[in-house]
Order: sequence, then C-alpha cells, then structure tokens
Amino acid sequence: MKKVQPIDCEQALLRIFELIDHELRGDEREAMEEHLQTCKSCYSRAEFERRLKAKLTGLRDSQANAGMRVRIERLLKAI
Amino acid sequence: MAISRKAFEDQVLALLGPLQGVARRLTCNDTEAEDLVAETVARAWHARDALNDEAAFRAWIFRILHNTFLSDRRRSAARPEVQHCSEEEGEEEGFSIFEQAHQPFLLWFSNPEQEFLDRVLREDLERALCALPEHYRIVVVLSDLEEFSYAEIAATLDIPVGTVRSRLARARSALQKLLWNSAREYGLSGTTSRSEGACEAKP
Repeated sequence: MKKVQPIDCEQALLRIFELIDHELRGDEREAMEEHLQTCKSCYSRAEFERRLKAKLTGLRDSQANAGMRVRIERLLKAI
Repeated sequence: MAISRKAFEDQVLALLGPLQGVARRLTCNDTEAEDLVAETVARAWHARDALNDEAAFRAWIFRILHNTFLSDRRRSAARPEVQHCSEEEGEEEGFSIFEQAHQPFLLWFSNPEQEFLDRVLREDLERALCALPEHYRIVVVLSDLEEFSYAEIAATLDIPVGTVRSRLARARSALQKLLWNSAREYGLSGTTSRSEGACEAKP
C-alpha cells in the first residue's frame, strides 16, 4: 500500500482553506487528513475554520423576495 | 447552439435567490441589488449566443452580474461609497481568530474559539462582509455563501485559480480581523477593555 509523504504543521496550515473548501485531492488530501489525525492543534484550527465557513454559508439567500421574482418574470416575458 | 428561451428562463429563475443575494452583498443596498439583477438578466439574454456550454450557466451569469456591478460602479465613481475597511488593513495577511483566541491571556475560557463562534451573530457577519473591500467580499461570498469551487470563482471573476486561492486567504484574514475587532464589544478579546478599565482605575 502506498504511503503518502507526511506534512508538518506549517505545511498543513498553508492548505487548511483548501481542505475546508474541498479543493484538496488524492495524496494532498490524504496527507492533510493523516496530519489532522495526529495533531490536535491543526485539527482544532481546521474545525474552527469549517464552523466559521458554515456560519457564513448560513447567510445564503436561497429564495429571491416576491418583488424581485415578479420583476424578473415580467422582464423575461418582455425580452 | 444558443440556449433556448425555456432553458434560459428556468436557469435564471432557479438562480434568482443566489443572484439577488450576491447582488445585495456587492451593493450593500436592496434597491440597487434588484436593479443589478434585472440589468444582469437583460444583458445575459442579449449575450446568450456567447454561452457555449449550458452547464457553465451559473459561472457565466454571475460573471455578467459582477461585470455589470463593476461598470455601474465606475459610472457612479463620483458618488460617495459605503465605508469599507482600508486596503492596507485588508491586505494584512495571516490574521487568524483561532490564533488570537489561543493567546495565553484568553485561556480562562475553556474553549475560546468555541466561545467566539457561539457569540458571533448573523448581523456581525453581515456587517463584517459589507466592510470588506469589494474584491475580497466577492471571493468570500462566492466561496462561503454560494459554495463555488475555485475553478468556478476563477471563471466568474476571470482570474487564475492561484489568484482565487491567495485572494481568498487574504479576504478571510481581513474578515476575521473585522470580526475579532467587533468581538471585543462583547468581551471575548478582553485585554483591550480590561487594560482600558485598568487605565481608568489609575489616579
């Protein structure tokens, strides 16, 4: 079984946003996950960043307001 | 082949909430946001022949939204702008609430970053987002609110993926600095208020 190159805290912190943004793939992701399993500090930092991101995601407006919808439906009929 | 009228309408209506949400955060004004979305939809319809792949509709229409915002902003450059944090402040890299919360003087909280997350309010987040310079705000909004991939953000803003990565890191640093400063109001980073209090107590 292939073993990924271990990374240190400095390397992990540089990639932490890419981890929480689901942008790490393959060996990079695996190396990061292995590091987080053994480093409490980096794990806590990643959890904090994940939870802050989730709070921001909670601000998302999934529905337009009624006035906006009516305006755009009229526009779509007119163009 | 150009996108059909029905497909165009379906895609626009499905994305209307996110379009209005992103427009609100770009303009920080509800009326301007509605005008921006309407102008974007009209422009997108007239430019529909330029859309080669319907699967890329989301990044394409958000790109039109962003470009329309920038050209409107340039036209009204003389108008007073919403007060944002300074570019210099925004450029500061590496500010982290987690690191601030783990300074020894805050260890009287059993879990200071948890304390911060529990106390931070929706209004705090909205205010901090609105205070970010526009080029930072848009990457945070697209990544964290709309959950675009880095490649989609790059396509939307017409910048390289590497620039998305570095700009997002700086934007988050600036956002966390704004949030941390507002957290002082409720005493999490208590050193400032406590030291000020100590000064006041001096004769």
